[in-house]
Amino acid sequence: MTAAPQALRTGRPTKPPRSLAVPIGMVAFLVITWLALSEEFGIGLDIGDLIEDAGRGVDIWAEFLEPNWAFVPQTFGPMLETFQMAVIAAFVGCAVALPISFLASRVTSPNLATYLADRGILSIVRAIPDILYALIFVAAVGIGPLAGMLALFFFNIGVVAKLLSETVDGVDTGPIEATRAAGGNRIQTTRWAVMPQILPNYVAYSLYTFELNIRASTVIGIVGAGGIGQLLNAQRAFFRYDNLAVIIFELFVFVFVIELFSIWVRRRLV
Amino acid sequence: MIRFDNASVVYPGGVRALTDLTLEIPDGQMMVIVGLSGAGKSTLIRAINGLVPLTSGDLTIDGVSVRHARPKQLREIRSKIGMIFQTFNLVKRTSVLNNVLMGRLHDAGTMRSVLGWYREQDVEIAMQALERVDIVEKAYVRASNLSGGQQQRVGIARALAQEPKIILADEPVASLDPPTSHVVMRDLQRINRDLGITTIVNLHFLDLAKVYGDRIIGMRQGGLVYDGPGSEADEHVFRDIYGRSLTADDVLGEPAAAPA
Repeated sequence: MTAAPQALRTGRPTKPPRSLAVPIGMVAFLVITWLALSEEFGIGLDIGDLIEDAGRGVDIWAEFLEPNWAFVPQTFGPMLETFQMAVIAAFVGCAVALPISFLASRVTSPNLATYLADRGILSIVRAIPDILYALIFVAAVGIGPLAGMLALFFFNIGVVAKLLSETVDGVDTGPIEATRAAGGNRIQTTRWAVMPQILPNYVAYSLYTFELNIRASTVIGIVGAGGIGQLLNAQRAFFRYDNLAVIIFELFVFVFVIELFSIWVRRRLV
Repeated sequence: MIRFDNASVVYPGGVRALTDLTLEIPDGQMMVIVGLSGAGKSTLIRAINGLVPLTSGDLTIDGVSVRHARPKQLREIRSKIGMIFQTFNLVKRTSVLNNVLMGRLHDAGTMRSVLGWYREQDVEIAMQALERVDIVEKAYVRASNLSGGQQQRVGIARALAQEPKIILADEPVASLDPPTSHVVMRDLQRINRDLGITTIVNLHFLDLAKVYGDRIIGMRQGGLVYDGPGSEADEHVFRDIYGRSLTADDVLGEPAAAPA
């Protein structure tokens, strides 16, 4: 004889009501996307136009597909310049970002005022896009790689300090307590209880900014900040898509090699 | 000597963790604190080195007030107090030796220690500390590659490297299995007896407390409910401390092996 299933004891909790935040958020996102696409409020995207216009680039695509390999030697100089700008900016930028990151985390910052001030400055540094930095420094120091390097330097501080200070926020605080209990001061605590924990991330972020710099150098070159971007802009102005294809291919290889290298480094470090 | 004078701790949010505690701990004593979770054991231990500040009353070590110490003074006080933690609190990504050298930071100078250029005598002190807990062969191994018991011995070595007058141990064996618990407790006992370091240990296993404590204090709701020698702490005493009869959960259950 089977009895109906029975609770083993009383006091089971009732299921709490489901939160509506997620469905409401999803609907809001859809509505905003639709408005952004609509003709009255948004950019007025028409799928029909998209299909009709797709054929217009065929000539350009054809030129892209026949890269002018004879152009390769002319890219070496600017490519090397881009590499140099990217390395120097990443190296100095990441070095400067390290202490800034420590001041921008509640875990290692000496007091609330320093923390807030540092966070405030950082959000300003980050709010300025890389191309605006390039414009500023081209105006200040003239056209050429120095302006590009300075632009990348500030761009790198913003990126690394944000990522790294959030990493510091998440470290295991046990060793920090132990170092304080042993009479260590704040700098010693940061060096020996925090640094070892964030080191793999720091290296990964540094390599990432180097990669970002290679890509950003194409954009900042357009406003005259040196490197491959300047050459790229010139070729675009002459409609030499066969030469552009060479530059784009080289950049792809460059970024891909950096990615492989950083995977290799990270695997060794963790 | 450590002296609590009507010491109280109220945490932000209103939780009273320590209530009007008056207590003297003479030099060289091995004192065990027992009590349920939340009774104030951890707070008492952390008040001694100022990790948890008192909100009223006072606490002095050899006549120097911890409560009124300025930051630099407080670091000086802490440099003479080693601390051992339930979860070891080692930096797992670095070597055992680097972890033990953290016990030398107070004397190494900021620049020197930041660069990792420890003086030869500091490295020697760290090595001797590792020898004392019998784990010196692991000096250059990454801390994450050690077992729990080994990590706790590194934690003890780090405390010893401070050349402390006092050692605080906050639930040092709560993350360890019973045989390893006895190894660690015997290490602490040996250090207390051989070096005359005042040792204060939080435990929640009563049999361990009786075996290793020269003196036991019992805590309940932030106050003292027992203070006496370990040998006199019987079932009735523990019933007072715990507010209920003892169960099998309250003892580790494994007798201490005969000392080798």
